[in-house]
Amino acid sequence: MNSLPPTVLIAASVLLPLLYPLLALRGVWRGALRALLPLLPLPALVLALLSATPWTLELPWLVLGSTWMLDELRRSFLLLTALLWSTAGLYAAGYLGAEQLRRFCVFWGFTLAGNLGLVLAGDMASFYMFFTLMTFAGYGLVVHEGSDRARFAGRVYLVMALVGEMALLAGFLLAFRAADSLLLADVAVATTAGGADGWLIAALFLAGFGVKAGLPLLHFWLPLAHPVAPTPASAVLSGAMIKAGLLGWLLTLPIGELGWAPWGQFMIVLGFVGALGAALPGALQRDPKTVLAWSSISQMGLMAVLVGAALAAPGHAPSLVPLIALFALHHGLAKGCLFLAVGLVLPASRVLRLLLWLLLALPALSLLGLPFTSGALAKGAMKDTLLTLPGLPLGAQLPLLLQAATLATLVLVARYAWLLWRQLQPGAAATARWAGWTLAVLCSSVLFWCLPGVG
Amino acid sequence: MSLTALLPILALLSSLLAAVVIFALPESSHRLRTLVNLLAAVLKLGIVAAMTWGVFRGVDFSVSFSMLPGVSFMLRADALAMLFAGLSAVLWLLTTIYAVGYLEDSPNRSRFFGFFSLCVASTMGIALAGNLFTFFLFYEMLTLSTYPLVVHRGTARALQAGRNYIIYTLGGGVVLLLGIAWLHGLAGDLAFRETGHFQSVDPALHGQLTLVFVLLVAGLGVKAGMFPVHGWLPQAMVAPAPVSALLHAVAVVKAGAFGIVRVVYDIFGIDFAYRQGLLEPLAWLAAFTVLYGSLRALWQLDLKRRLAFSTISQVSYIILGVTLFGPLGTVGGLVHLLHQGIMKITLFFCAGNYAETLGVHRVDELDGAGARMPATSIAFTAAALGMIGVPPLAGFVTKWTLGAGALAAQMEWVVLVLLLSSLLNAAYFLPIVYRLWFLPVAAPWPEERRWGRLETNAWLFWPPLVTMLLLVLVGLLAPTAFSPLSWAQLIAVRMYLP
Amino acid sequence: MAGLLFTPLAWAALSLLLDFRRGRWLSWLGMLIQVLVSLSLWFAVAGGGGFFYALAGWEAPLGIALRVDGLAVSFVLLTAAVATACGVHAGVYLDPGKSWQRYFWPLFWFLWAGLNGVWLGADLFNLYVGLELISLAAVGLVALGGEAAALRAALRYLFAALLGSLAYLLGVALLYGQFGTLSLTGIAGVVGATEPAAALALLLMLAGLALKTALFPLHGWLPPAHGIAKSPVSALLSGLVVKASFYIAARLWLELGDRLGSQLLAQGLGALGAAAVLWGSWRAFRQPYLKQVVAYSSVAQIGYLFLLFPLTYAVAEPVSRLAQQGITLQVISHALAKAAMFLAAGNLILSVRSKRVDALGGVSHFLPFSLFSFGLAGVSLMGMPPTGGFAAKWLLLQASLASGQWWWIAVLLLGGVLAAAYVFRIYRASFLEDSVSDDFYHPPKTLEAIPMILALLALGLGLVAEPVLSVLALPFEVAAGVTAVQP
Repeated sequence: MNSLPPTVLIAASVLLPLLYPLLALRGVWRGALRALLPLLPLPALVLALLSATPWTLELPWLVLGSTWMLDELRRSFLLLTALLWSTAGLYAAGYLGAEQLRRFCVFWGFTLAGNLGLVLAGDMASFYMFFTLMTFAGYGLVVHEGSDRARFAGRVYLVMALVGEMALLAGFLLAFRAADSLLLADVAVATTAGGADGWLIAALFLAGFGVKAGLPLLHFWLPLAHPVAPTPASAVLSGAMIKAGLLGWLLTLPIGELGWAPWGQFMIVLGFVGALGAALPGALQRDPKTVLAWSSISQMGLMAVLVGAALAAPGHAPSLVPLIALFALHHGLAKGCLFLAVGLVLPASRVLRLLLWLLLALPALSLLGLPFTSGALAKGAMKDTLLTLPGLPLGAQLPLLLQAATLATLVLVARYAWLLWRQLQPGAAATARWAGWTLAVLCSSVLFWCLPGVG
Repeated sequence: MSLTALLPILALLSSLLAAVVIFALPESSHRLRTLVNLLAAVLKLGIVAAMTWGVFRGVDFSVSFSMLPGVSFMLRADALAMLFAGLSAVLWLLTTIYAVGYLEDSPNRSRFFGFFSLCVASTMGIALAGNLFTFFLFYEMLTLSTYPLVVHRGTARALQAGRNYIIYTLGGGVVLLLGIAWLHGLAGDLAFRETGHFQSVDPALHGQLTLVFVLLVAGLGVKAGMFPVHGWLPQAMVAPAPVSALLHAVAVVKAGAFGIVRVVYDIFGIDFAYRQGLLEPLAWLAAFTVLYGSLRALWQLDLKRRLAFSTISQVSYIILGVTLFGPLGTVGGLVHLLHQGIMKITLFFCAGNYAETLGVHRVDELDGAGARMPATSIAFTAAALGMIGVPPLAGFVTKWTLGAGALAAQMEWVVLVLLLSSLLNAAYFLPIVYRLWFLPVAAPWPEERRWGRLETNAWLFWPPLVTMLLLVLVGLLAPTAFSPLSWAQLIAVRMYLP
Repeated sequence: MAGLLFTPLAWAALSLLLDFRRGRWLSWLGMLIQVLVSLSLWFAVAGGGGFFYALAGWEAPLGIALRVDGLAVSFVLLTAAVATACGVHAGVYLDPGKSWQRYFWPLFWFLWAGLNGVWLGADLFNLYVGLELISLAAVGLVALGGEAAALRAALRYLFAALLGSLAYLLGVALLYGQFGTLSLTGIAGVVGATEPAAALALLLMLAGLALKTALFPLHGWLPPAHGIAKSPVSALLSGLVVKASFYIAARLWLELGDRLGSQLLAQGLGALGAAAVLWGSWRAFRQPYLKQVVAYSSVAQIGYLFLLFPLTYAVAEPVSRLAQQGITLQVISHALAKAAMFLAAGNLILSVRSKRVDALGGVSHFLPFSLFSFGLAGVSLMGMPPTGGFAAKWLLLQASLASGQWWWIAVLLLGGVLAAAYVFRIYRASFLEDSVSDDFYHPPKTLEAIPMILALLALGLGLVAEPVLSVLALPFEVAAGVTAVQP
């Protein structure tokens, strides 16, 4: 049963961040730029929380004829995106200096618009449009600091992203021929019916989105680019934008279709390689943000395992997909908190310091899957589902592998905590920064449970 | 004379008369000249808009009279003609505005604007030509009227470029003339017809027709800047920026590409060309040109030279689209005729602004120009991204349609070429964008004069912004009526009717 | 009618009595009358068809028979136009202070009379007389000015002209001996297929006429004569004079060629024409002096005319007609364009005070109007659309294709390219901005306007080629009648 699309809200969700950079045209609007940073994702948040799903909005006059939609899967991703971006935005308002504020805000707005839009997109052209917008604008966030390291990271980021985008474009074109439709919903069926073309399409999507999702061997840009960005940007990069790759997989891979079991196995293997393999290089890092970036690769590996499982066991796909969304939500929020924490300073009072460390520990523990955290829910569900699924490859080794993955996470989180302990210095920070971080932690640990689709 | 016959003639005369008046005006009457220029441009835009509306409604605008025994001079406005006429009418207005600002305080303006108007009159004639003979007439007129523009600066380099330009284009013209005369000998006076003339033709003629096809395409390929006859294009960029804009976006290279479209569809018919296997070799050549132009562009340090090589690459997209048998491919080629024009003119406007305002000609001198000239740099960035094919800009619509057309025509390798070319585009455009926005200024900008609140002369400031808006809108609103995409679909549908 | 032939003679006699200035007024009046008469004749023929006309009722061979068809009246009109343009131009251009200039007008009018005589003449001897009149007047015009170089060129010209006339006269005598008539139609009526003497006569006449027309390799006299003469004179010579001898050759060929000619002769003449196109253009490209460029261009352009011979010999009737139309257009457009070009070149030379091509730097923004005229004329010479030159080239291309003589196509196309090469060389020189010279003379407006008008006529010819050709092809109202119609 389709609901009526809340048109005004949808338009506001996308247009607000899209038009926000116009404020940068005049120097005197600098204050408004800063003030609006946390408010940009609010329409999208309202949309995600309040609109009745599913709805479909036809925009036949846009690009190649667009369809925007919101269903349960997209709602979950929209929530994550909006929440994380607004907390990071709040944080950014307190983090950024006056220098190059305008440039940062321009890219921030565009990246956010891309990230929100791609979640809402129901057709290939819109999806690709927003995805590309996010990629290109994201470059501006990565190189913002202007250091040599940032430039290098930016170059690697851009080159790999571009190659990925080309793979996606080819995939979309082939899928368009196979499906004779622009709708993403038609891709899976067409891919399955497409024979040799279908294999090519799936491979192109796997690789194309794999770049964004940090799939092993396609991940090189990630540990370079995520840490060099300004802290709030790192948070959204690692928390929200990386999930665009995951969403891309979920929307375009033939999940739920018969005959893709070998692909599922391949992805599961690849996912574990990522989940476990990221631990070693991650543990050797000296920068907490880089450790977190490797941790993201590791966690995305686990999500890839889940996607692989959904491919391998098409019958269980309907239960696996919400699980993946849940995992993404959990990881995104938690990872966002951890990144934001890197930019904090130690308060003077001992009580406050204690509180700080306590709050800091929450998302870290959540990532480890400790009880009463979002991680416990997500990882518990993952374990339960994976171990009960019949006929999965590596079935016998699965418990071991999952334990190893937890260990890998532990290593990375411990390394991060250690480095942060060493790094955080006493000092003063703007209130907005504190507020943003606190709100992020709150989202990750408390609000998480109230979100639709959870529990 | 009825209105339907009058309008095409008026469309031609509006700029032809402007040329005459401008030549007659004394060099010193700048205001009057500018007024005449703008009036003519606006008038032409109005006429073209009226005709476009008429063609959309199915009105047949045509006029013809016998010029030579067996040959008539024929103007006819069909949908394809309006596609090109619309492009040149819109961009001419903007280029005129731009040129007025660009040539402020420079000598020989009377000559410049006179030939400028002649050039546009020729372009209009090319667009509205109803048969190959009339097309050739204006095609050569274009060659002659652009020469004085190319050599306008009168430097040794400009003259050298002009020399090469004229050698290439006249050479092409000769080959084209041979083809046209031959075809005329074989089949008589052929009016452009949407399904072509050779659906059923005596097989004995196939050999000769194939040769004629090769001659025609080779002759037109010179102006379209196809490999290996592209050499004049990068050199011709010594011309003033509005001229480059005109050469690259509106008139010259487009005339070549448009001619190929006419020859393939409206003379031979796409069916004939396809069945004779004429499309495949052309596709390979076009694909090679696409990659070759991009590769060469990578190594150019001079901004306009880089843009010139980019043109070589981009114009062959149009040819590539023509060779993809099927409506989608056709639409892709046709729509790129416009989209490339809008994007490339933006880039040249911007390059001209940098040169005029900051004295910057080389890519490596652009560091930090974004802060000094944000509006121009935004326009440049948008156009560059459009060239790469970033949605929702104009270039994406082209690339998508071409790609889909290639797949529909079972020519998968073309998609690979498109993707490679996009990457190459990114490789030579993005570093410029990067320099504009992310690098600090190396040396202080010259502060010769102030322009009030704008970053440059108002005549130079607005045209690139308008074209930028256009290149965003034609992509974003591609499926709406009267967008280039819809118009190209309208044309393509008529071409593939049985 | 008689006015066309004899009034120029009358003007000549009158102007002989006057000095340059008064002769000028007289001549300008005369030109006006000539133009009006020519126009009315043209319209009469365009409306009513052509006719034969026996002067004063006397018929050939005793009297002077005139053949007034569409082609002839068109050439009469062309002559009126070009000669008037040159005459007006000369009136302003020539320096009245020089005493010898008073001879300009009589010579000018003799030339005009001779030209009209040739266009309208119907028998071989009258044609000869006209031709001689032209040659002598032309030599006189070249010599006008009295410089040693001019005299040398004029003498050379005279020698060539006399030699040509001699050969022609010999041919005429042979034919008269054989057939006892001088009427071209008369001879055509009785001549058979194998008559070696007649064939020899034709060969002699063609050779003589080719020399007078400056066909390669007999062109040596032309560039010095046309180059050294005053610009209006050069314009007359290149535009009209060489066409007269060609006109006679063409008439001979079209009447007699199918029986007396041979494929070898036709192809040979065509080949010489082709060689002229290539060699003349190449030489034009290499000349250091502006007027020499234009003069050599005439050699090249004349070469095209000789394609008439192969393209009308032993081909189908429609093909032959195409070729004739093409050549006719070429004659007309070249006359207009070349006259325009010489006059414009004269202006440019006046302006920069040097005859050298490389002295033209900067003239483009000082004398754009004349340069533009020069350019427009050049466009016609290149055979670019929409000029008359293009129309001619197009028809010749069609004729070559249809007759299967594809080798002429190469000549036509290559000739266009070479023409572009020498024309653009001039542009290039004039667009150069780095010349230091700022010392330009500004010629009077009249001088600037005239070449522009001629160039525009050459340009417009292409657009109205069809109606013009339809007049040219008008048949005679009475096939071989002797109706005397006094206009």
